[in-house]
Amino acid sequence: MTPRAGIDAASADRQPWRARAAPASRRLSRRAVRPWLFLAPALLLLALFTFWPVLWGSYLAFTEYNFLTPPRFVGLANFEDLIEDPVFFISLKNSLLYLLIVPAIQLGAIVLAVLVNNTLPGIKLFRAAFYVPVVTSVSVVGIMWGWMYNEQGLINAVLQGLHIVNDPVGWLSDDRLALFSVMVVTLWRGLGWYMVLYLAALQAIPKDLEEAARLDGATRWQRFWRVTVPMLMPTILLCTVLSTLSAMKVLEEVLIMTKGGPVSSTYTGLYYAYDQGIRAFNFPRALAASLVVSVFCVAVAWLNFRFLRPRHR
Amino acid sequence: MSRAAALLRLIGMLLLAAVTVCGCARTSAADKVHIEFWTMSLKPKFTPYFKALVAQYEASHPDVELEWVDVPWDTLQTKLTAAIVAGSAPALVQLNVPWAYDYALYGALRPIDDLLGADRSAYTEGAIADLTFNGHVYGFPHYNSVNVMAYNTALFRSAGITRVPTTRDEQLAVASQIKARTGQYGFSPALGKIAGLMLEEGLPLVENGKAVFNSPAHVAFVTKLADAYKAGGLLKDKLFSEDNYPASIDAYKSGRMAMLEAPPSALTRVRDDAADIYAVTDVAPVPIGARGIAAGGWLFHFAMPKGTDGAVAREAAAFAKFLTNDVNQLAFAKLAGAFPTSRKAVADPHFQRLRTDAGAYDKAMALGAQRMDVVRTLYVSGVPGFERLNKRLQDAVEAAIIGRKDVKTALDDAAAFWNGKLAPLARPTQAAIRP
Repeated sequence: MTPRAGIDAASADRQPWRARAAPASRRLSRRAVRPWLFLAPALLLLALFTFWPVLWGSYLAFTEYNFLTPPRFVGLANFEDLIEDPVFFISLKNSLLYLLIVPAIQLGAIVLAVLVNNTLPGIKLFRAAFYVPVVTSVSVVGIMWGWMYNEQGLINAVLQGLHIVNDPVGWLSDDRLALFSVMVVTLWRGLGWYMVLYLAALQAIPKDLEEAARLDGATRWQRFWRVTVPMLMPTILLCTVLSTLSAMKVLEEVLIMTKGGPVSSTYTGLYYAYDQGIRAFNFPRALAASLVVSVFCVAVAWLNFRFLRPRHR
Repeated sequence: MSRAAALLRLIGMLLLAAVTVCGCARTSAADKVHIEFWTMSLKPKFTPYFKALVAQYEASHPDVELEWVDVPWDTLQTKLTAAIVAGSAPALVQLNVPWAYDYALYGALRPIDDLLGADRSAYTEGAIADLTFNGHVYGFPHYNSVNVMAYNTALFRSAGITRVPTTRDEQLAVASQIKARTGQYGFSPALGKIAGLMLEEGLPLVENGKAVFNSPAHVAFVTKLADAYKAGGLLKDKLFSEDNYPASIDAYKSGRMAMLEAPPSALTRVRDDAADIYAVTDVAPVPIGARGIAAGGWLFHFAMPKGTDGAVAREAAAFAKFLTNDVNQLAFAKLAGAFPTSRKAVADPHFQRLRTDAGAYDKAMALGAQRMDVVRTLYVSGVPGFERLNKRLQDAVEAAIIGRKDVKTALDDAAAFWNGKLAPLARPTQAAIRP
């Protein structure tokens, strides 16, 4: 060891740049390690509470398992079970139908953001009012809308008062309407959240761009369409992906308002998984259904990126 | 001594004292047997009742420390399952019979035969039978329920009905007549639990390992329900919900529905919220089906999760017996408008003597007590994967009643699905009504 060290020292004397190179590489490796140290706590938590449950849950989807006996590998049996169940297909269809809410919620949120993005007196009150549904507990929202949708509820009372309908409408008891009634609640809950994101994006658009367009003689509509919308595209992409995933994963509204009924017409993918796992204690089938819903989520998110990602020339 | 040094010494002494006190407290708490018990949706109405019992029991048992946790009914299964999996289940948990049966089936509950001992005879036979699965008792019976039929005499008069219905067929016919003559709903049967409804009517689900709920008798029964629905006789709000009780009581209180099948306690809500409706309310027994069992039996009890052993099990059993003794059951039953499951409490004059100025609620309690001998908690057992099969039956009946499918076709389809699932089973299955 000693002669080797001696050779190294001698060589370092002859080539001084080598002597400086060692600390530099150490600095480099320290620089490489430091971010991981900062990330470590978050990564540890993610590994513990996200990655591990996802991996373990995915494995359990291929097993026969109740919480008291060890899992037994059964291959694709749980997925075959799903294919046999028409309620699962209704759930998937409803989850996809729920995506109808995405353009509605984005359009509504952009319109609201544009409306509240001015300096009128009392505008902050409106912004806060639109945000209230976001911070209201979903249980409260579900019960409140349940009352409003009731046969003797506010909505039927108004419609009957205006002579638009003669008999009360079964908003939640008619299997042809129930899913759309629940979708309205999701829309109402989500508008404020996306409005805030769009509002932040609108306020970040440099004023001189619109000023320049105005000097060029662009109309209000042209300024909105040619300046504001392109500048909003990254936010539109973000909000669309977020709302698409939320729509695919909708659960609470269904759980509180309809419990999947009537005639399974409001089952969604995640509610099906919940129902199988928590009510029927069939954890492997619940996990298999969750995996299928996850695949759909990934596919829909990919489509969003594919078609909405801004293209820079 | 400087002021700073004196201050430091004072802080040191205080810290020492705090550590000593904490240490003593910890030692004393560690010596006690900790019993955590869960109840189902009993807060806030019964908070004073349980707090008083806890204080009384802890005073007489200084070696026991009680922790009362009340869990909303709709989250109890989720929380209990998670707690059992995590090994942190309470020593006692209040359950209904079907849930207890499911947990017992999975081996998640501990049989309590050894802990019940001679006290078994203190409870009614029906209650003990409800909690006996595979020859073992799985809970300390607490309180029970039975349905009565409250009816709006004013709506009956307006509809020209002079005789109270005594069978389900008559009740459905009366419901349609009420709608036709008064514009109000007749009643709200528990269609969200169609299997139970069929079994009450003496219509079996499975015989000799095959689904038989597409027989002419079943088809006729569902057709009558569908006819009443079409005639507008059945309340539409939450009609197919597993729990249609809140919507039913709201409709009855507002005078929109003529008959309410519910436990007597429902009438206290009518009395408190709608005095005008209560004034025209009378009660009658609910129609009894072919099995001769009164509807509405729903026994609550304290079960012991698996893993509760040793001193904790012994102390928890003693506390469960205290919670469900004659005196405490009678007090709870009076407070809740429920029926006790202890023999002495059932025989109490409170349930047996009717005052001369008795209102609908008192009449309902007396009527209910008379039915305690024929009330049982009804549910289906012995069918593997019943949740899924029941869902198929439930969907078929819903589709038939609202007219999306022909009754016979809907029941045939569901029966074919059941038979496809039941056929591969090694032994023939009987969809037995429990008990």
